[in-house]
Amino acid sequence: MKTYPVEINVNGEWRKAEVTAHDTLLDALRDSFGAFEVKNGCAQGDCGACTVILNDKAVNACLTLALQADGKNVTTLKGVGTPDNPHPLQQSFVEHGAIQCGFCTPGMVVSAKALLDKNPEPNRNEIREGISGNLCRCTGYTKIVEAIENASLRREK
Amino acid sequence: MLEKIKKKTVTRPDYRIIGKPLPRHDAWGKVFAETKYANDYKLPDMLYAKVLRSRYPAAKLLSIDTREAAKLSGVAAVMTAKDVPHNETVTRFGQTHKVGGFEGLYRVLAEKKVRFRGDAVALVAAKSLAIAEEALGLIKVKYEPLEGVFDPVEAMKPGAYPVGEDESNVICSYKVRKGDIAKGFDLADVIVENTYRVPMVDHAYLEPESGVAWLDDGGVITIRAATQVIEHFRGIADVLGLPHNKVRVIAPMVGGGFGGKEDITVETYLALLVWKTGKPVSLTYTREESIIAHSKRHPYVMKYKTGATKDGKLVAMEAEMISDAGGYVFLSPWVLLYSTVNATGPYDITHVRVDCHAVLTNNTFSSANRGFGAPQPCFAYESQLDEIAKQLNLSPLEIRKKNYLHTGDSLATGRVLEHSVETEQTAEKAMEALGSPSQPGSPSEKIGQGMASGMMSYGRMTFLHDTSRSYVSLEMDGSVTVKCGVQDIGGGQASSLAQIAAEVLGVSMEDVTVYIGDSALTPLAGTTTATRQLYMSGNATYKAAMAVRDNLFNKAADILDTAPENLDIKDRKIFIKPDIKHDPDRVLAFDDVVKACAADGVQLYNVAQFNAPARELIDFQTGQGQVFADFTFGTHAMEVAVDVDTGKVNVLKIVACYDVGQAINPLSAEGQLEGGALYGLGYGMIEEVILDKGNTLTPSLAEYLIPTSVDAPDVKTIMIESGGGVGPFGAKGLGEPSCVSVAPAFANAVSDATGVRIYDLPVTPEKILKALGKI
Amino acid sequence: MTPTEYVKPGDLSDLRQVMAEYKARATVIAGGTNLIPEMRNGEESPELLIDISDMTELSFIRENNGSIAIGAATTIAEVASSPVLLDNSPILASAAKQLGNPLTRNRATLGGNLANASPCADTAPPLLALDAAVEILSPGGKTRQVPLNKFFLGYKFTDLVKGEVLTGITFPKPNDSTKGSHTKIGLRNAASICVASIAVMLDMDGKTCRKARVAAGSVAPIPMRAYRVEKFLEGKEINAPLLEECMAVVKEEISPISDIRGSLEYRSYVTSMILKRNIKRALK
Repeated sequence: MKTYPVEINVNGEWRKAEVTAHDTLLDALRDSFGAFEVKNGCAQGDCGACTVILNDKAVNACLTLALQADGKNVTTLKGVGTPDNPHPLQQSFVEHGAIQCGFCTPGMVVSAKALLDKNPEPNRNEIREGISGNLCRCTGYTKIVEAIENASLRREK
Repeated sequence: MLEKIKKKTVTRPDYRIIGKPLPRHDAWGKVFAETKYANDYKLPDMLYAKVLRSRYPAAKLLSIDTREAAKLSGVAAVMTAKDVPHNETVTRFGQTHKVGGFEGLYRVLAEKKVRFRGDAVALVAAKSLAIAEEALGLIKVKYEPLEGVFDPVEAMKPGAYPVGEDESNVICSYKVRKGDIAKGFDLADVIVENTYRVPMVDHAYLEPESGVAWLDDGGVITIRAATQVIEHFRGIADVLGLPHNKVRVIAPMVGGGFGGKEDITVETYLALLVWKTGKPVSLTYTREESIIAHSKRHPYVMKYKTGATKDGKLVAMEAEMISDAGGYVFLSPWVLLYSTVNATGPYDITHVRVDCHAVLTNNTFSSANRGFGAPQPCFAYESQLDEIAKQLNLSPLEIRKKNYLHTGDSLATGRVLEHSVETEQTAEKAMEALGSPSQPGSPSEKIGQGMASGMMSYGRMTFLHDTSRSYVSLEMDGSVTVKCGVQDIGGGQASSLAQIAAEVLGVSMEDVTVYIGDSALTPLAGTTTATRQLYMSGNATYKAAMAVRDNLFNKAADILDTAPENLDIKDRKIFIKPDIKHDPDRVLAFDDVVKACAADGVQLYNVAQFNAPARELIDFQTGQGQVFADFTFGTHAMEVAVDVDTGKVNVLKIVACYDVGQAINPLSAEGQLEGGALYGLGYGMIEEVILDKGNTLTPSLAEYLIPTSVDAPDVKTIMIESGGGVGPFGAKGLGEPSCVSVAPAFANAVSDATGVRIYDLPVTPEKILKALGKI
Repeated sequence: MTPTEYVKPGDLSDLRQVMAEYKARATVIAGGTNLIPEMRNGEESPELLIDISDMTELSFIRENNGSIAIGAATTIAEVASSPVLLDNSPILASAAKQLGNPLTRNRATLGGNLANASPCADTAPPLLALDAAVEILSPGGKTRQVPLNKFFLGYKFTDLVKGEVLTGITFPKPNDSTKGSHTKIGLRNAASICVASIAVMLDMDGKTCRKARVAAGSVAPIPMRAYRVEKFLEGKEINAPLLEECMAVVKEEISPISDIRGSLEYRSYVTSMILKRNIKRALK
């Protein structure tokens, strides 16, 4: 199988891997870079569990070839915030009970971050639109929307 | 009558930790990307497994040639039925209590014949997923396709294609007989008779079935899998012919279960491949595999005939339910039993006749799915009620109020509902919160409002003599450890135990660490199913924590020279209750008492077992007897806007009102109600696994549609806390009850908007247009 | 699995070189939102991938000399939010906004949506109603313009020959007397494969229709222009009885199928309803 070298900046760190032309960014993140927080829910762009920010756009990692991410910046949930320096979204999600099984959470928080970066004060409809590519089966979305709204208000302060 | 309707104002105690909307302890790990799910685990030398599945829904399995596949470089093992030590197992229903009558035959890998399209035929383990997939393609299977049967009504007929090993495809049948049904219909002024159909639906958890297994020290096959039942280690050991103590199952945080991870999924395949190769093995189903090959919710055909007097009193209900079990038995008999008990809903009906049958077909097999047989009849009985109401010129709420069961009344099965039954209150509050109808946005838009009440048990069937165990201990420094076999599938099963232990021991949630889900190391707590964990493990944890507290209090009482009953505990201090006269500085620091206990060898840990009420099997000919410990009752109210030109429905308002007994954590309780509302809305509005002669036409999430964030509004939740549950602190279980009455509320709202009724779910735009006579 | 090769040309001249070298062995990948799932399930086994997703020369939205030009590698998200398009061709922006979901829209491209040739392609009906044309680059270096209504030749089959690259889409800037409207019918409100769609552009002279462009999606083997409907409307005064008759005309012209998303009766009916609705809306 013909392989190519790629270099991808994952959460601020340049990482190298050898990939085939079939490998997706999801494959590279999980198999080569140990980024287990990027989840595989369907592998074909229907669920959003693999959402990452590629340069400045939220995308499905399963619908991007690893080769297409060469030389670019990828932000996963780990790059959104840490226990020492949490993003308001992370704080809000926990405090509002917006996390149940947690499997949709990495993709959901990343999508929400991309939304707030572009639109710092979304109304509830805009929030729902912004996360419409991220399926959740546990929460019914209500607390996720509340958490995102709350995080946007926190950022104002 | 007036006595029962009088609203009870129950003031719940203000606990320190219980009832507070505290962040779950597992939420932080999930939001900081620390939590490792089943397949976020990589081990050195790990192999990747794939399952070869049947190409036909019904066929003789003539031969399997694995030689070429086994020779492929990088392949470590190829296994078929002949390689499995005990390929055939028979499950008699009930884990702790032997139940006769019906058995389910399972084969780990198909042998002689295949019974549905996803039937597992062979296993491969290889150095990479790509090699495993290539090997699958090299396995040569010879099938002789058979005609199969795909309609449960057809499958019931004598002479139908035999799906299993018996001539008859009927797995089991149950009855309820109360009063005299003919007499009942004679008394009725209005009779409504309809046939309802509900489809096959998928759990659609975000995390597909997955696990990693390895051979641990001492030859223990260790399986770390997304499961709701670690107790399967016994069945897995039996398949391998190993002693039970040589198989260990660990459940990490699970990415959604909903009953789909209740039966064995990947565990036995992993165990076999580890046993064969000696190496670690990883197996994850693709989403397509999950939809095609794993369990579903039973499709039902339900004939309901309901009779009422002109005053709206229900006098007769006759129901016949036929459940499509698919290719294998699994939990179909139990699901059917739930349907039988739930057939009449939370209503008082004088004369009842129910007949239910579960039937094998060559469709994908169905088993546990959130609600476990309660949602299906709810769609029927709640639709029937609205039709009767219409004929009698009563509102949906009015007719229900004339028939609701209350605390102390009996179900049609003769079971007295001794714990709180507040359905009527939930209905009044839900409709009040729904408010007056919105204004239509255009001439082609019709607004409709609908409601539905439902009931569902929490806790397992009582003839299973269910138990749970939990271990609570105080470390030397006063921090608290809880160990419990509970499996956490997202409902906060683990966190609620921390909350309970913290309340009892006067510490904060942060002071408690919870270890869960390890069949070798945590006391077994039973399945995370049947909405039983808060009830069972919550009570067990409470008991264990109280035992530890009692030891602390005994020591403190000694030190303070008082009686243990006079003591209380709060914020890491043990003190004499304020209403007892005492010296104000007789207060002890929690840590000091812990140290004193340690110094004197006083045990500061306890493993407690909680036993659910134990009953015997009911009489399946009359359906009379107690099957469940308690039920949760609730109502959904919905408002929709229907575009009568295109059939499209927009959901404008959803209200969920439940008697939750006591919300241990309001955020978690609301979360169940909100999530349950969307789970049920999907069932009512868009979900359907479509099969064509046993072949799945909707194998991906692009074809099998579940609601997105823009398909529903915020869910408004109203929680009544009656304190009348049998769970800890008077809590009732919510996980499954929360989704039971949503689909009928949706269907009733659409009916209100359009003036026509849809009798089969999902209620799609096309069906609406057809009912309106437009196509 | 075929060991696929991959090349990423830097600019248009690189692209021409690569195309000349590989000719019909090449499969073009832009956003990959259709191609990558097809590669995963074995439907597509490309020998060589030419990646144009980052080619800035193919990513633009321009207004010049009375026409709008969009580069093939422009993302659907960019099409949905472009001020130029919102101003000049809101029906295109509307269709783009309803394609997939916010994540797929950040990768999927306008060229890809057309080249993939699905009869359900969301952006095809508005572009047909806008009299769009596509620009195609051949391996020899030649470019050709193909009117979009001559581009779709059959089910999942276009005028694009293997080795060619669709480089751009153009359409004449609609004049002030032209009004448009678009509706997509799907089974849910996001990430919903189109069940039926209608796009109309009506050039009006008072109440009389001077010129009509009506296009339909998901109701034929190709995204189609409803020529009979157009002829029926042109030169006539648009009123309620005419619209009722028009509904019957469109039902004759489309050829929907029954599948898991809906029966042909449903598609037929709903198409006629949204045709009426869109004409009314366009004229408001």
